[in-house]
Amino acid sequence: MRKDVIAAGLAVLAAAGAAFAQVPPGYPADYAQVVAAARKEGKVVVYSALDTKAAQPLIRDFNALYPDIKVEYNDMNSTELYNRFIAEVASGQGGADVMWSSAMDLQVKLVDEGKALSYKSPEGAKIPSWANYKDQAWGTTYEPAVFIYNKRLVTGDEIPQDHAGFAKVINSKVDKFKGKVTTYDIEKSGVGFMFVVQDTKYFPGIKDLERGFGATSYKVYSSTGNMLEKVSSGEHLLGYNVLGSYALVRAKKDPNLGVVLPKDYTLVLSRVMFIGKQAKNPNAAKVFVDYILSQRGQKLIGSDVELFAVRDDVEAEYTAAKLKQQLGSNVKPIPVSSEITEYLDSKKRLDFLGQWKAGLGTR
Amino acid sequence: MSATAAGALRARPGPLSALTPWRALTILVTAAAVLGPLSLILYQSFLTAPFFDPAKQVGIGAYEFVFADSDFWKALGNSLVISTGMTLIAVPLGALLAFVMERTDLPGKRWFEPLILVPSFVSPMVLSFGFVVAAGPVGFYTVWAQELFGGAPWTLYTVPAMTVIAGLTHVPNVYVYASAALKSLGSDVEEAARIAGASPFRVAMSVSLPLIMPSLLFSAVLVFFLGFELFGLPLVLGDPEGILVLSTYLYKLTNKLGTPSYHLMAAVAMCIVAITFPLVLLQRYLLQGARKYATIKGKAGRMKELPLGPWAWFAAALLAFFVFVTVIVPVSGIALRAFVTNWGFGVNLSEALTLDSFRFVFHEPTHTRAIWNTVLIGTVGGALTVACYTAIGFASHRRNDGWSRFLDYLVLVPRAVPGLLAGLAFLWVFLFFPPLTPLRTTIFSVWLAYSVVWLAYGMRLISSSLMQVSPELEEAGRSVGASRGVISRRITLPLIRAGLMGSWLLVFMIFEREYSTAVYLLAPGTEVIGAQLVSLWQGGAIDIVAALSLINIILVGIGLAIALRFGVKLRD
Repeated sequence: MRKDVIAAGLAVLAAAGAAFAQVPPGYPADYAQVVAAARKEGKVVVYSALDTKAAQPLIRDFNALYPDIKVEYNDMNSTELYNRFIAEVASGQGGADVMWSSAMDLQVKLVDEGKALSYKSPEGAKIPSWANYKDQAWGTTYEPAVFIYNKRLVTGDEIPQDHAGFAKVINSKVDKFKGKVTTYDIEKSGVGFMFVVQDTKYFPGIKDLERGFGATSYKVYSSTGNMLEKVSSGEHLLGYNVLGSYALVRAKKDPNLGVVLPKDYTLVLSRVMFIGKQAKNPNAAKVFVDYILSQRGQKLIGSDVELFAVRDDVEAEYTAAKLKQQLGSNVKPIPVSSEITEYLDSKKRLDFLGQWKAGLGTR
Repeated sequence: MSATAAGALRARPGPLSALTPWRALTILVTAAAVLGPLSLILYQSFLTAPFFDPAKQVGIGAYEFVFADSDFWKALGNSLVISTGMTLIAVPLGALLAFVMERTDLPGKRWFEPLILVPSFVSPMVLSFGFVVAAGPVGFYTVWAQELFGGAPWTLYTVPAMTVIAGLTHVPNVYVYASAALKSLGSDVEEAARIAGASPFRVAMSVSLPLIMPSLLFSAVLVFFLGFELFGLPLVLGDPEGILVLSTYLYKLTNKLGTPSYHLMAAVAMCIVAITFPLVLLQRYLLQGARKYATIKGKAGRMKELPLGPWAWFAAALLAFFVFVTVIVPVSGIALRAFVTNWGFGVNLSEALTLDSFRFVFHEPTHTRAIWNTVLIGTVGGALTVACYTAIGFASHRRNDGWSRFLDYLVLVPRAVPGLLAGLAFLWVFLFFPPLTPLRTTIFSVWLAYSVVWLAYGMRLISSSLMQVSPELEEAGRSVGASRGVISRRITLPLIRAGLMGSWLLVFMIFEREYSTAVYLLAPGTEVIGAQLVSLWQGGAIDIVAALSLINIILVGIGLAIALRFGVKLRD
């Protein structure tokens, strides 16, 4: 008799434990149903601009938490991500459950076009308000735009500390830096374009910088990796507006690479995530989004994934809080909002590109 | 081509039954595979938005935009300069090398032949990347040159440098045609010139090479035309400097407006086709001429090799220089980069040695899948492709009707479309043509695109095998009452077996090397090394690019070794 009671008690405890594992603290009680539905769906298809290798810790941890939900993670560059998504939506094949991309403007555009699912995430209030877009899209990271330099070949006051300093260094030492300054090709890289648009807002001396780029015949790439490689090898010496998350990771292992967080202001990009409206596994997608925004997911983003956690209540090596501590009010996150889609209008964009080219002077 | 098809044939025998069911099917499938994607591109070029966008409108806005864009004209100019320049380099050099290899007594020359052909089997993406790490501003060779001489006398990222590299890497294309033509030329005329006191160089310039002029002209058009399709080389070497050619301009348009501008890309593609298609037709015309010409032979069949004498040094130097620049420099660059963590000025390479890139490649499912898929598409895919090509070959073999001529022209069409865009068109087909949609994320999509893109090349291989079968053998079969199907299966097919095996090997190598076609088809499940390289290069994962490139070279090398072992002619 007594034994039975204990057994029953244990059973209740076990059930409670299982339920507890499914519904994290602070989540609504009916969340268990979402998780159950997600487990039935069995997988979540993620399209992401973050390469698989970097995302591995998140996928592994998510699987530890939800062993029944398989993550089909597909990495591609942000343009391709967008192209494939719209083509799949148009063909009614809805490929992606979760879209996760650094091309913030393209992501917001898709949301504005009604291609995202509305979902009131229990974690939605925990991220800064600028990073929550109408409960349809969420900024998940806090990645600074930085300067990089070759440590062996650039030293002392040649290392620019702020934007004006960058312009001054390349304008005053044109011979040394001829062909050795690099940044994104803003015609090809959406992220590079977005950074420059923001620069025109915060940096009054942008014209000097452009002139310096023109004078030193700057070299442009569509990816961060190329710039890191070329600055590290010494083919180039200085890199402008490089995605800091990647740069800092490489700088840790590569003794040739130096990184500067600009002192006057540091732009911050936040990878935007949303759930596709046609998602075949909407519940699994919700669970995945909640996980990424949760303290557990964010802690991993701030440590193993090395992308900077966007949440303020997370202790890790790379966090928004630490960056803010270091730079004070000079961190300028690019908001997840419609205003950043302004230059997706092709006429406006071409005008901007035309002016940029003109600003370079003769190349 | 199955038993039932043959049965159907037997029911209605006779040489004049023009359109048997399986022949009709073959023609229909080929036409659909070739014209479907192309007409999609044409249609797209006259729209204002992606064709699946409800907001699209019909118009010529795309062409107006492209023609008003100064970058387009710059790209067109660069393409013209590079194409012309590389033709001027590749044709004389290829012809000279062919003369040396075919007609002279240069010692050890047989050993060189595979090396001469290597650049045509290694992906241009891999070669260009090899040049960057070997001879770029801080490349291994550049750094050594600087340590030895205090400076390197070359720069890589310029139009002339790209032209020279493109010219050198296209020497094999000239070489194969020139040497084939030289083979069928009697040596008596050359001996006559020698007796009259001409030096070997003089013999080459005044006797042998003029005699193979039609072949040289044909290969000149070929190289010029390939110049317009260059993609990997300008992508790697020209991009950072902002040097555009037509194909990289097209690629750049993917993102110029912030959102995909398929209509602009399609318009550029149609411009490229407008240039290349006439060239393809010209090529076809010249090829017929070249074949006619090559039948003029000297009397005796015996070939006599020309003694080079002191010229041997010149010839050997030429060969060595060519092999060093086009094979050894890039391949050694890649091999080195694959095994070091970082490089450049003042980096001690022995301290940077690592196997990490390979460890990563073999631990990463996408990369192992890419390697596996690349092997699969070359072996199994290659065999299937050869089977399809053979079916098409039989559909026009020994028939001189309108359908055969239609097929002849049809197979040339894909040649004119840049692989990059052909891939995009196939992505659309796989997305929006319901029967094919389930196959989109399988390697089948890449296989189909490859097979169509390389149709013209493959058909030349097959038809040259078919042509070797003398008609009387087939007529003998017919005279005892065999139907066409039976003749094909029992007589022709067994006779060309060796030729088909050779075609398979060549298709294997071509498929290992191909990259641009798969760029847009790249998805989980369809990874192939070539496309993976483009994507990784864009992403800047240089160490992985190097490791995968090396693996790719090894795969091609295995194919090459097997081909040599079995004496497959490395040419079409």
